[in-house]
Amino acid sequence: MLLPMTKIQIVGSTEKLDATLRALQRLGTMQIQDVAEAQEAPLLAKLSPDRHALEQRDEISALVARLGSFSGLLLPEVRVPNVAPAYDAASLRTTVDLIADAKQLIAEIGPAAQTLALRRDELQAEQASLTRYQAMLHKVLPLSAEIPRLDGYETVVLLIERRSSAVLDLLRQKLNEAIGDRFEVNARHVDQQTTAAMVVFPRDQSEQVNALFGRENISPLHLPQELAGTSLRDALTTMERRLAEIPQAIEQVSRELQGLGASSSAALLLLRAALSDRLAQMEVVSLVGATRYTFVLVGWLPRRDLPNLRQTLQREVGPELCVEEMKISREEMKQAPVALANTPVVRPFEFLVTLISLPRYGALDPTPLVALFMPIFFGLIVGDIAHGILLTLLAALLYRFCRTPIYRSLVQVMFICAFWTILFGIIFGEFLGALGHQIFGLKPLWIERSGAALKSLFAFAVAVGAAHVLLGFVLGIAEAVRARSGKQLSERLGKFIALIAVFWLVAVVAGTLPKTLSTPGIAGLIVGMVLLSLPLGWIGAIVGPIETLGLIGNVLSYLRLAAIGLSSFYLAEVANRLYGISTNIALGAIVAGLLHALNLAIGIVSATIQSLRLHYVEFFTKFYEGGGAPFRPFKQSGV
Amino acid sequence: MDLTTGLLAIGAGLAVGLAALATGWAQGRIGSAGVGALTEKPELFGSILIMLALPETLVILGFAVAAMIILLLKAGA
Repeated sequence: MLLPMTKIQIVGSTEKLDATLRALQRLGTMQIQDVAEAQEAPLLAKLSPDRHALEQRDEISALVARLGSFSGLLLPEVRVPNVAPAYDAASLRTTVDLIADAKQLIAEIGPAAQTLALRRDELQAEQASLTRYQAMLHKVLPLSAEIPRLDGYETVVLLIERRSSAVLDLLRQKLNEAIGDRFEVNARHVDQQTTAAMVVFPRDQSEQVNALFGRENISPLHLPQELAGTSLRDALTTMERRLAEIPQAIEQVSRELQGLGASSSAALLLLRAALSDRLAQMEVVSLVGATRYTFVLVGWLPRRDLPNLRQTLQREVGPELCVEEMKISREEMKQAPVALANTPVVRPFEFLVTLISLPRYGALDPTPLVALFMPIFFGLIVGDIAHGILLTLLAALLYRFCRTPIYRSLVQVMFICAFWTILFGIIFGEFLGALGHQIFGLKPLWIERSGAALKSLFAFAVAVGAAHVLLGFVLGIAEAVRARSGKQLSERLGKFIALIAVFWLVAVVAGTLPKTLSTPGIAGLIVGMVLLSLPLGWIGAIVGPIETLGLIGNVLSYLRLAAIGLSSFYLAEVANRLYGISTNIALGAIVAGLLHALNLAIGIVSATIQSLRLHYVEFFTKFYEGGGAPFRPFKQSGV
Repeated sequence: MDLTTGLLAIGAGLAVGLAALATGWAQGRIGSAGVGALTEKPELFGSILIMLALPETLVILGFAVAAMIILLLKAGA
């Protein structure tokens, strides 16, 4: 259900504005609306903050950003303390005090934290760089062993892609042109992609050779600066020693960051939250209207929270504050923000409804209906005891690891779906397809999906569809009556009558009803088509019959409940038969197990999507009015 | 099995197979456009799911026709 909302107006003297906003933020039950958008007060001027307030807002904004960056740096290193009990006291302090404390904290931890963070970044960069060099030197080292050490000669290493190794002939030619034959190029393939080349030349020719490399865009392998001039083997030894030291150095820096985080995390969290909230208070001021001495604040809140809001404002701000419930027109009420308030069993399904959009304020909240039908459809499709048990175990496992509310609610949905899957598994007598029947003689309570009762299964799926669609129309008619919309009422009533008439006529054709009763069916069809065509005018004469055909399509769409379930049953059967025909029992069991796992995975995904689709496309279109704006109360950011 | 039965069985297969091809073609086009839209606006997930699921009615109707033919065959057998 939707929480009943009301719109209120708070009027008070300007000096009480800060205290009022603080109290409202602590309560966290009111969504403040821009006073310029409120129909009752469109001519009120906005409260414009003075220069000092703007400067303070900028200062707080910068401090919040800095505290946030320190939190990002230090808090992952420590166990975050619970500072919620201390937050109330912190939130009551003056803005000036909070700013001073934040500056002091930043001065205390900032330099050390920045130095440590920089040190850690440098160490990590050095580690990455040395690892890269180490890999290259390992490739080059066998080559250097082939060249004798010569005094007065310089050695340069080039790494070339193996497919481009022909470029070495060109290099020899260019070197010959530059310094004559006073050089040696020794090359070999060091792995599948790389050719290493070692160029040896007299040190006094270094300038010409390097100029040639520059001209030809050749990048020799340079060792890190601190290792320049050492031999490749020595450089590699030094690198390996350094690489062994770096993890310990990083560990040491992390320990120091942990120490810093442990001593400052509580203050960091409190100040960041308190200043963020103060910033939000300053920003909300731009929504407030004002005269010379008074402010006017307009907003929405759940009606049930109004008495508490009045009491709190009276206690914390003063009795002179005027809190007035505003008279709202029917049209304006449609713009009210929407908050869903369902029972704990139904609440997990709210997410599935909001995937489409929130219901418009005043419209029907379909969450309880989704909570009722969606798991039933899911169970009807999967309908297997073993799959239900596995789904329960999977949900239990996920429940342990999922912390976010959305994932938790999805896991709760999984539990409910698993229950219906087991229940329909008992009804269909299925345990991994027909394996339950073969092993422990499991028998269906009602419908057997193995083919003998195919007709009953299809009839059942269509009957479920007809009931679901007709329920949608009943709700749609009720909504149209409540909204006093003649057009909607005529269209929905027409479709409802036409659909019943179609089923009536089908029953007559099938011989379930006597042929003499075909006249009421034809009459109902005509009445229904006329009613649904009325709001469309003359074009209704064309659209009416098409819409009626569409209704039959809507109901037949529920055949998927049987069709997808059947495919799941037959996939399980394939797995069982593969096991049966396999001469190698272990291999047969593995293949069958994998197929059953695939079947379960497909079953979960497909059954979820198809059940939701039936709701979104076939059911919601009969009555649902979405497009509601979510209720976003002005509240504390939380610690 | 006589020729008529065989042709009916082929007809049932074609009814569901061609409908499945059409559904797959439509879903492929909607899906690629939908994924593109989702990268820009993740909040459209629900609407895109609906659009993606719409062509499935085709294959379900194909399945209904195929099932009717199979049931006809069984009744005749």
